[in-house]
Amino acid sequence: MNQTSAAALNRLHLSVALLSIAIIAFQLVLIHVLSITQWHYFAYMVISVALLGFGAAGTLIALARGWFLERSSFLLPLLMFGSAAAMATVVGITQAVFGGFDSLLLFVDPSQVWRLLLANLLFSTPFFLGALAIGLIFVQHVDQIGTFYFANLLGSGLGGIVAIIILGLLSPQQLPAVTAVFSLAAGFLILPNRRLRWLIPAAFLACALTAFNIVRPVYLSISEYKDLQRTLNLPDAGIVAQRNSPYGLVQVVSAPALRHAPGISLTYSREIPVREAVFSNGNWFGAISEWSAANTEHLLDYTTGALPYAMATPNDVLVLRAGTGMDVSHALTRGARRIVAVEPHSTVLDLLDEQYSKTMGGLFRHPAVTVVPLEPRTYLATDSSHYDLIILPMVGVFGGTAGLFALQEQNTFTREALSEMWRHLTPDGILCASAWLDYPARNPLRLAATMVETLAEAGIDNPAAHLAAVRSWGTITFCVKRSPFTPVEIRNVREFCRQMLFDPVLLPDLKPGEREHYNLLEDRSIFTYMDQILSPARQELYKTYDFRLQPATDNRPFFSQFLRWQSLPHLIRLFGERAVPFIEMGYFIVIITFFQTAAAALVLIILPLFRLGWRSGNRLWTLMYFSGLGVGFMLVEIVLIHCFVLYLGHPVYAAAAVICAMLIFSGIGSYTSSCMPIHEATPYRAAGLVALMLLLYAFLLPPILQHTITFSMGWKIIFTMVLLALPSFAMGFPFPLGLQLLARRSEADVPWAWGINGCLSVLSTALATIIAVEAGFAAVFLLASAAYVIAALAEFWT
Amino acid sequence: MKDSSFMPGTSAANIENRPQRVLPKILFLPFALAFLLLLFTGNALAEEEALIYKNARDRMVRTQIKSRGISDPATLRAMESVPRHLFVPETSVPDAYDDRPLPIGYGQTISQPYIVAYMTEIVQPKPQQRILEIGTGSGYQAAILAETGVSVYTIEIIPELAKNASERLRRLGYGRVQVKSGDGYFGWEKHAPYDAIVVTAAAEYIPPPLLVQLKDGGRMVIPVGSPFFVQTLMLVEKHGKETGTRSLMPVRFVPFRRAE
Repeated sequence: MNQTSAAALNRLHLSVALLSIAIIAFQLVLIHVLSITQWHYFAYMVISVALLGFGAAGTLIALARGWFLERSSFLLPLLMFGSAAAMATVVGITQAVFGGFDSLLLFVDPSQVWRLLLANLLFSTPFFLGALAIGLIFVQHVDQIGTFYFANLLGSGLGGIVAIIILGLLSPQQLPAVTAVFSLAAGFLILPNRRLRWLIPAAFLACALTAFNIVRPVYLSISEYKDLQRTLNLPDAGIVAQRNSPYGLVQVVSAPALRHAPGISLTYSREIPVREAVFSNGNWFGAISEWSAANTEHLLDYTTGALPYAMATPNDVLVLRAGTGMDVSHALTRGARRIVAVEPHSTVLDLLDEQYSKTMGGLFRHPAVTVVPLEPRTYLATDSSHYDLIILPMVGVFGGTAGLFALQEQNTFTREALSEMWRHLTPDGILCASAWLDYPARNPLRLAATMVETLAEAGIDNPAAHLAAVRSWGTITFCVKRSPFTPVEIRNVREFCRQMLFDPVLLPDLKPGEREHYNLLEDRSIFTYMDQILSPARQELYKTYDFRLQPATDNRPFFSQFLRWQSLPHLIRLFGERAVPFIEMGYFIVIITFFQTAAAALVLIILPLFRLGWRSGNRLWTLMYFSGLGVGFMLVEIVLIHCFVLYLGHPVYAAAAVICAMLIFSGIGSYTSSCMPIHEATPYRAAGLVALMLLLYAFLLPPILQHTITFSMGWKIIFTMVLLALPSFAMGFPFPLGLQLLARRSEADVPWAWGINGCLSVLSTALATIIAVEAGFAAVFLLASAAYVIAALAEFWT
Repeated sequence: MKDSSFMPGTSAANIENRPQRVLPKILFLPFALAFLLLLFTGNALAEEEALIYKNARDRMVRTQIKSRGISDPATLRAMESVPRHLFVPETSVPDAYDDRPLPIGYGQTISQPYIVAYMTEIVQPKPQQRILEIGTGSGYQAAILAETGVSVYTIEIIPELAKNASERLRRLGYGRVQVKSGDGYFGWEKHAPYDAIVVTAAAEYIPPPLLVQLKDGGRMVIPVGSPFFVQTLMLVEKHGKETGTRSLMPVRFVPFRRAE
């Protein structure tokens, strides 16, 4: 194969790039599809396991290297066609065979575990076949690994862009088959002249399956526990509008029994109006409210969310994560003169503007309303105005979410975010946030803790004078005021409570017994905890409470993550082991994913040693070096996505930009490495350099981003590219250099090394999440640097 | 009747035309015995099965319900009587008496036995009372309420569930339970006012028509939580114009604090 002509080599490079496009695009598409049919955490688990296909491919090549290399010209296109066929059909097959699978039932019905394992196996097929082809090419052309790795990384980067484009253009069920087209093209590019008798039918079959699944895609059946499906179960319910977008599939449902009145007062006696509602990826997004400028009353007047309006009439209002605009129409009805509605989901905004403007009484086109399609934090960083009222989005949902979104980064609710909001308040301005009451109490307590610590940071000695909260049967609303509450305002709060049958929870002059006049609690401990949060003894509560209550921070932005592992035995005793996973399912799933992938990775790494032999001078350094690179690269990717989402303000595009830029710059680094002479120490030095660079970044990147976040978008994009290019370029060196060095010493070990890298990359996605939750993203950065240090130190174990 | 016997070569026509031959009664005996045996074993099996489920139910009441503090005799009697395993999907029958909710399709569940018992005890059902249930589901809660002697009116919004529950309740002898397929938001004005309202399919609001249809002094109970984890039970008590709520815990109160 070393005599391969230049043209054939070029075709092979292009083929690797095309296959890499297909694999990354398919991965992103699969996350999208599974997030629609199930939940994001399930997509995360399936993808993690499926990506072990890369590790498995390395293991298989290591076990049967000779057999594969002898037949490579025939096998390579066959594997690519196979991968394409699997991409096109696997979603349909899993829907047909495991139609009854529901990830929410994993902890309820033991048979679901087997279905999940089979689904994992099926989903890993396209990755396994594709990775087998790429691995085979790497092993065969290890002398030119720099350029092939470049093609692989470039293709992967472009795959991210392709995914973003097709996510916005096509319906979710068509997407997997569309990505298969790239894999097909990769196969056709390298069709050999021999043995076409077998390859042509395989190509034809793959093409036919791909075409069929594009033209007649399978219907996606959605979990019956998802908001969308439950709403569609209502009589005469139907989807009346739909839009594809990288942010998620947006659907509008209409049903004669669909109503929205979150935690409305028991005094409300009129009919709750029937509405249409918006769902994003099958999850509730918001109700489309009919509104008219002539309205003098609003449905939200009867909720605890009306608390700030009971105290004053704000002129300038900022609504963060405005959603479908209920808080905006409420502010207008209550007499606000200028309202800024910040909502990053631009697809929903476009849909509402184009199709529902009339229904909503032209709300978002009202002269007093300015709509900003940005992440709230990014807007706050760039905006210099002050507001009389800032409204945060509601925390939680009625009845809870079973902790499905526990690991969602919520940058709007961190301590830094609230401090930023505090700075945007006028001297008498109010910051308002509401939450659904939960049991055991978590959301209201953390919200209170965040507000109190914001006040403490602002130098307020007596937080009780600035904090008010009222509670209905289901919700609680907090108001933090920049100046102390006046007696008139306090009187108005009491009157508001009396009229609505609400109870004050926090008020500067709260009287004994006042907290439970209308809504009694069997467990009153929430009041004790609330009082303790207001006192300097709150640190003691943080330490001893069964759940984490410390405010979320930019470093650990998981507002909805409360579970602490030490409390598990207590919670199991209390609620039973079957119920406990439903307290915070998201984190449980990540832990399960971690152990599942760790066990599989261990098997995949050890298995080739039965053939390659256990004792060799290369074993330990190979393991250290390629594990370090696998873990390091992935951790950096995850932590940079976190940093730049906040910086750029558009979560999906920011994530895509980071992934693409990192992969492409690393590819360029890899290409450059192919032009370098290699000495024994070069790979370790490259890894050491990356480790040093990451260490610097861990300390310098956050302040740099903080100081430049106010710059214009054009500048920020330039900064992003420069900041990403430097480490990414350097990170492109160690892997191809290491493989070349290994090939010199023992060519048979190359696939094993590639497999180690693949397995550890997958494992570190779950690891990154666990570390971010437990210790914060800064620790993830440091760990990434440490991983490269391990790779650099491998030199001493050669 | 003249005796005859089969003769070789007898044609079909001949057989048809000849007088019907009566077999000696003794020949029926094995069949009759076999049938009786089957009947008795069948009955015995059914009885044995009924006994197994009865034992499971008794155990459920003892370990899951009484042990958690439910003491209302009518509620306990009802929980001991209603065959829960006939209200769950076939695949869940072996788990019917487990201490947990079970899926019944359409994103709905049959509540954990303890929660059903707790909700029943809270509304304090007394014979001759009228109780409205919102969210029939499998019909289990309605059957439990019916066992206490109250008149039960139940509404289910998902037509398929309403149809199945109605048939099941009738088949199991709870024909007095009136099932309506429709939107529970509006209640069932025809039979109002109600002594109690049990909302098993809770929404994020309490429908105003239900409050209107609740008698003065009446109670409404609503479980709050996700399908497989009930956090609290909300009790709404109507006293004239001043309606109040009480948030009750399905678990024993213990502080969520750890000793450091």
